[in-house]
Amino acid sequence: AVLRRTSQVRPLHGSGCGQQQEAIGMETRPETFSIFRTQENDPACQSEQHLGQYYTVPPSHFHTVFPHGLPPRYQQQVKTFNEGCVMVRQPALELISHLKRADYSKPTLRYLLYGVKGSGKTMSLCHTVHYCSTQGWLVLHIPDAHLWVKNCKELLPSSYHASRFDQPIQASNWLRNFRTTNEHFLSKIKLRQRYVWTKRESTEEGRPLGELVDMGVSRVKSSSDVVGAVLKELRLQAGGTEGGFRLAVAVDGVNGLWGRTTLKKEDKSPVAPEELTLVHNLRKMINNDWCGGAVIATLSQTGSLYAPSSAYLPQELLGEEGFDSMDPFVPVPVSLYSEKEFESCYLYYLDHIHFHHWLQHPHSQTEEGKKELIFLSNRNPSVLERLCAFL
Amino acid sequence: MASTSGLRTTLSKMAASLTGLLKPWTPRVLLVRWSRYNPYYLEPEPRKEVYHIPETELTPEQKEERELKSVRPIKAATNSVTSSVFNDPVLSKFVNMMMKDGDKIIAKGIITQTLENMKRKQVEKYHKAPEGKKAEIECNPYAIFHQALENCKPVIGLASIQKGGKFYQVPIPLTDNRRRFLAMKWMITECRDNKHRRTLMYEKLSQELLAAFSKEGNVVKRKHELHKMAESNRAYAHYRWW
Repeated sequence: AVLRRTSQVRPLHGSGCGQQQEAIGMETRPETFSIFRTQENDPACQSEQHLGQYYTVPPSHFHTVFPHGLPPRYQQQVKTFNEGCVMVRQPALELISHLKRADYSKPTLRYLLYGVKGSGKTMSLCHTVHYCSTQGWLVLHIPDAHLWVKNCKELLPSSYHASRFDQPIQASNWLRNFRTTNEHFLSKIKLRQRYVWTKRESTEEGRPLGELVDMGVSRVKSSSDVVGAVLKELRLQAGGTEGGFRLAVAVDGVNGLWGRTTLKKEDKSPVAPEELTLVHNLRKMINNDWCGGAVIATLSQTGSLYAPSSAYLPQELLGEEGFDSMDPFVPVPVSLYSEKEFESCYLYYLDHIHFHHWLQHPHSQTEEGKKELIFLSNRNPSVLERLCAFL
Repeated sequence: MASTSGLRTTLSKMAASLTGLLKPWTPRVLLVRWSRYNPYYLEPEPRKEVYHIPETELTPEQKEERELKSVRPIKAATNSVTSSVFNDPVLSKFVNMMMKDGDKIIAKGIITQTLENMKRKQVEKYHKAPEGKKAEIECNPYAIFHQALENCKPVIGLASIQKGGKFYQVPIPLTDNRRRFLAMKWMITECRDNKHRRTLMYEKLSQELLAAFSKEGNVVKRKHELHKMAESNRAYAHYRWW
């Protein structure tokens, strides 16, 4: 009944922004597959009537908004299908509605997405990041905080602070991706403080942020300090009344900031996360002592260190220290697919009218096969994706 | 009463030597893995359709079989037997041949990655192809696998037969099982030996299967060489006596 209502309501309503282009130029598509797709490609205009439907991220936005945030299997899927379709789900819609109604003169609200492995936390985060970018916010997207606390080949002692360690490669990679995402802000934001890098190099007050970022990308040795400077500037200027912009800090795998690291110092003693410059500065960002933006974080057990594989709740993954720093936050649970969402996902993979050719096994297109897919995947999004990949 | 008389007729059909062994006794602890079952035990039936036939539509033989199954013990089903719709006996045989040290999880994982890889390559090729060529591109990895294996199966084989002190390579006909085995064996050895050190198994296997599908590649070449050898040795064909 819900599905039929959706297909009847949409042509009657025609929501205000993002006008349906069906009347202009496009060939009329049969009703059968508009049940799981929607033409509403702007996250700001999506509402409960679009729940369970797939919207396409416009290809022009794709490389600017998501140079580094998406899960690797999803990136492969985008490459194969030649389009990036995201499902509109309850947690993302809830987050977007909170972001629309929040008061940005008050200290920042922190949102935490949590759920079992493979339930769609990173994808919900990416959906929200797409919304923030279409609304013109400055997006600070850290793809995986765990990448900063493990597998680091070069650990330099920090020049700024004696007991801290720098990670030049990770910092410069992140700065490069940050530059791709926020091109248009780099010339508008001016620095409010003078930064001295070495005896001969310094960046003066009033220079654009773009110069600082370029310097960080080219001078790899001081890139971690550049990251710290960028974060500090953005924190100071986010809530400003003149030329104020809104800042969205999206961190995936935030539990990596408060656990243990696998990095070791030269005398084989373990490095604590607070001794890393990047982690230290990011923790300052996540504190709610600034205003004019939001912090959206995801827990992740997959890349986490020293955490049991059955742990998914905030208390278990963040630990005491992390939970105390994140507290108070708005928890957003991400569940497995509901029946309607599963239907929609199954139809999307089955879609051979729109040239996907993904579910190829003849039995997977029958009722029996569908029941078996439900049984094997337990409606878990990532397990279903892996199953449909080889069927 | 009717059931015991039915049991006696089936028993009497069996060889006289076995009747002494057929005792309706089940031991309390049964080792199933490497045991030879007492012939008294019946095979398990994994297919779902058999159990969905309603009572009225059963033929007398099926009714008798069901009665027998309610009385006799049944062998334990092996791990590879499934009632899944996606079960493919040829693919299971391939997985078993690829398995090393009994590690079926790794072998099955390699095969699923291969199928996924083949499907991705074909779908990408499909998207890039012009409109006229799109219908010819096969995207179903299972169809490609079966067709590739068919293309690798030799029609005629060679056997080493001794005549007058010397051994001759004599062309002989092959059974279906032997042909399937040879095709799979050649495919697996080719992918294990002739690849670059850094290429993963699933990558090499998907390349070889796609090549075999279009009748190119080293495995089909090996099949052709076998055929040529058999053709050149036709003079010795009369050394075969079966």
